[in-house]
Amino acid sequence: MNKSTLALSLLITLSPLAAFAATAPLDLVGPVSDYKIYVTEQIAELATQTQAFTDAVKKGDLATAKQLYAPTRVHYEAIEPIAELFSDLDAAIDSRVDDHEKGVKADDFTGFHRIEYSLFAENTTHGLDALADGLNNNVKDLQTRVAGLTFPPEKVVGGAAALLEEVAATKISGEEDRYSHTDLYDFQGNIDGAKKIVDLFRGQIEKQDTAFLAKVDKNFASVDTILAKYKTADGGFQTYDKVKENDRKALVGPVNTLAEDLSTLRGKLGLN
Amino acid sequence: MSNPTPQPASPPRALRWAVAGSAVVMIAAGGLFYYASQLAATKRQTHQDETVVTIHGHACEPNALTVAAGRASFRIINRSDRAVEWEILDGVLVVEERENIAPGLSQVINANLLPGDYAITCGLLSNPRGTLHVTPTAASDAQAKAKPSMVAFIGPLSEFRVYLSSQASALIKATTALQQAIDAGDLAQAQALYVPAREAYQRLAAASQRLAQLDNAINARADYFEKREQDPAFSGFHRLEYGLFQQRSLDGLAPLAQRLVSDVGTLKQQLLAQSLPPEQLVSIVVRNLNSLADVRAVSGEEERYSHIDLNGFAANLDAARKVVDLMRPLLSKSAADLLPNIDTALAAFETALDGLKVDGQFSRYDRVTADQRKQIADKAKVLAAALDGIDPALGLSGLQ
Repeated sequence: MNKSTLALSLLITLSPLAAFAATAPLDLVGPVSDYKIYVTEQIAELATQTQAFTDAVKKGDLATAKQLYAPTRVHYEAIEPIAELFSDLDAAIDSRVDDHEKGVKADDFTGFHRIEYSLFAENTTHGLDALADGLNNNVKDLQTRVAGLTFPPEKVVGGAAALLEEVAATKISGEEDRYSHTDLYDFQGNIDGAKKIVDLFRGQIEKQDTAFLAKVDKNFASVDTILAKYKTADGGFQTYDKVKENDRKALVGPVNTLAEDLSTLRGKLGLN
Repeated sequence: MSNPTPQPASPPRALRWAVAGSAVVMIAAGGLFYYASQLAATKRQTHQDETVVTIHGHACEPNALTVAAGRASFRIINRSDRAVEWEILDGVLVVEERENIAPGLSQVINANLLPGDYAITCGLLSNPRGTLHVTPTAASDAQAKAKPSMVAFIGPLSEFRVYLSSQASALIKATTALQQAIDAGDLAQAQALYVPAREAYQRLAAASQRLAQLDNAINARADYFEKREQDPAFSGFHRLEYGLFQQRSLDGLAPLAQRLVSDVGTLKQQLLAQSLPPEQLVSIVVRNLNSLADVRAVSGEEERYSHIDLNGFAANLDAARKVVDLMRPLLSKSAADLLPNIDTALAAFETALDGLKVDGQFSRYDRVTADQRKQIADKAKVLAAALDGIDPALGLSGLQ
């Protein structure tokens, strides 16, 4: 085989790839800005519901506070790729007991999970006033900071994989909401947040790799189907200890595959 | 007859190569296996360019890192007893991170780093922060001087689209409130609500004026119509303004207000549907400021019945400031010498407008003297000229 036939056969082999032009950067402006609009709406919900949640805590209304805990948090979980860019607020709002040397008694253990501990493990709203005010203020601060942030496009596109890694690392094990066992809310929040990113960039991904999109959609559908089994009549979810072992196992495959597949999204859209 | 023992045929050459080849493969595989098992055993074997960081219970080792600018890989080994995270921070903002690194395991973090000093979060939140010093390289110096690529504009253009979206929503809300006051027959309330609606429009004016026909339906002055105010085609804000402030009557305004609400709804859709290339992000603002300087400031023709021109100018300035703020990171990096002029011009224009406030409210424009009007025009002109320098400095018109 001489050089020119070698080159020709290489060209033929590679031509299906060459047929897809790279994503034009300006084509990403629409989806990136729509993502900011989505995040802005989610944070507005988070702020409103955090106010109601912390009001219930401060009024000593344990039942309402418990009821509002998970549906409030879900808005944070959906937008974690952006929320966790602010390391100080992320630690103050969403750190888990493991992040603190002194555990639940650490002075800097604050936010949702500290309040969760008192509400669900200690069964009390006692002594939570300062923590409730702090959470409320931090969420408002987050809202202001996100409004002023120009979203880095690679963080937006990379956020889909980040959310699935979060699911793989902390949701399937049930360690995120270890006192309330409301992990399925967060689970769905992470999945919805990742799916939103895929949906916003669907047109651009489709031009690059249709088969990829079909596979990702199928795995999202598998996860959603399993999660749907545990939905309650009020639109919420059963506690995580109710999730059957075979369902936990069935979630691992699609979640890991999604995390792996979505990690290639930045490259596909020319943002590496 | 002797029957000589046949010479064993020598194995074909290809076979010999194959045997030798498979031996090589075996050795190589054995080597790889050994290498892999070593890697697994210690989890400390690293690739050549990896910077290894070990998280212990109370600190990272090393806790002060120095790497060259560009792509860097960090292998984070968790020797503490909890799942922890490692982050590179620029101020409070996360540049790169890896969460939930399980005890005993390691993870690789890849980062593309600009020269500068960063902080590191390292395991427990109470652990001391580490430092990361990124030194410039010939490549990073060249990159700093180079004009930005198209990818660098995705962020600013997206943010401008978000601005258009939120301001257009504000415009719809304000225009709807104005329409409701007109429907309710409340002249004083309608006059009051005309002001915020116009402010919302003027924040969008630079972008809206790209949509010629729709913008005319919303914003055309009476001069553009053959029979001026009496022309049945005269519609939009200024037709309402004429009724509210000149005729002081709501007669016939209800259908016009209804159409305006519908038109600003369409405006939002179309603003979001249009793609705006980087050079136009700046040029639309320059054009808007030039029209202010050349025509609107001197004549006061835009709000000739209500005389709320200053509110509109201030809203035009808001949009100009927004664009400057969005371009600021790129300007700081590639054309920093332009920024002092631009910031001075923004501040001077704002000061000129603010000087015409009485008790926190802008004066009516018919009370603004010719000299004061010329001051406003001059300041707008200087700002337009300063912004006009952005395109050549960043190479906006020739972006790849």
